[in-house]
Amino acid sequence: MTCDEFQRVLPESWGAQSSEEQEHVKSCRSCADLVLDLQAISDTARLLQATDEPSPRVWNSIEIALRREGLIHEARPLRSFVFAWPQRRLAWLMPLTAVLALVFGVLIFERGGRSPGMSSGVETRQSTPGEFTLASAEEEQLLKMVADRAPALRPVFESDLRNVDAYIKDAELSARNNPNDEIAQQSLMNAYEQRAMVYQMALDRSVP
Amino acid sequence: MTDAKKLQTEKQLSEAQAIERAKQGDAEAFETLYHLHKRRVYSLCLRMTANTAAAEDLTQEAFLQLFRKIGTFRGESAFSTWLHRMAVNVVLMQLRKKGLPVVSLEESLESDDETLKKEPGAEDANLAGSNDRLRLQHAVGALPPGYRMIFMLHDVEGYEHNEIAEIVGCSIGNSKSQLHKARMKLRELLKTSRAEKAGKP
Repeated sequence: MTCDEFQRVLPESWGAQSSEEQEHVKSCRSCADLVLDLQAISDTARLLQATDEPSPRVWNSIEIALRREGLIHEARPLRSFVFAWPQRRLAWLMPLTAVLALVFGVLIFERGGRSPGMSSGVETRQSTPGEFTLASAEEEQLLKMVADRAPALRPVFESDLRNVDAYIKDAELSARNNPNDEIAQQSLMNAYEQRAMVYQMALDRSVP
Repeated sequence: MTDAKKLQTEKQLSEAQAIERAKQGDAEAFETLYHLHKRRVYSLCLRMTANTAAAEDLTQEAFLQLFRKIGTFRGESAFSTWLHRMAVNVVLMQLRKKGLPVVSLEESLESDDETLKKEPGAEDANLAGSNDRLRLQHAVGALPPGYRMIFMLHDVEGYEHNEIAEIVGCSIGNSKSQLHKARMKLRELLKTSRAEKAGKP
């Protein structure tokens, strides 16, 4: 068997080489090196297996879309208040708050500034990768109101706000870098909507 | 039954139950399916786009398409195969939308065959033992999208050729051929990178 013949059948016979092919590899240094190299590439590739996870905002967005499209039929337990639909005791306040948060966020972005939840304090106080501390005065006040009424809920809302702020930051960066990308723009709108929802939930928990 | 098989069986029951409950609109079932498969889908999208925001958007779109059609899933293929097929389609659509060349998996790239042909007397790369994860990751990013897709599915994610054929819509023979070309291209890229590194003062 020649080198050309061996390399021609290699794609098909990989992992199950005939005795003739194995004999050729034993006798031919260059084809042996080729096989070793390709095997090493294949073995190392396993190390590239998924270790990264998408951020929580991906599931958040999926769930919002599924509920909006009516694909989710039953109420889910309140594990995260991002998606719990509250009882609207003050129905007029909720949509108003959500709209205000959404509009405010869009206006701030379009003017090239930061959205309220992304004051410079968020970045400067980030001490280790992935660790955020909320510095926005509005968010602190909101969390205080929640804690006054339901102390156990503060960490949940704090986590939700942290996640949605990170989502907004990513989405703003992507939208600025890709101003003509519809997906990036839609993603940004989704991010603002999510924050509006979190504010909505928190307000409902804080209002007596 | 070995522990690994038992765990696999339990996982399969749990996924099958989640699928049935998701068909009924169960929110937790959707979330279960998402968490079971999010890493692999995200990893595929990330390797194809090299951009975390884009990868997350594509991941989201792939799962949304899946969940919208979950009522039609009859179990003829594995759920993960079905999901990955959607993810691949979403990725390819995005690449085409951006005007990036997507190598047709049915094309025989004769020009590539020429460049990948081993020259007699050329120095062997002897890459065995010197490949590390980061260098390979960088080289994978430089592969044409079609090669990268097949390589990701087979060597990284561990799909068999018959599954890849179903996911991307090509023949088994073509999947094997494309994988081989991807590996050969990677070998060449790693060789070049190694030579450049050696040449630096």
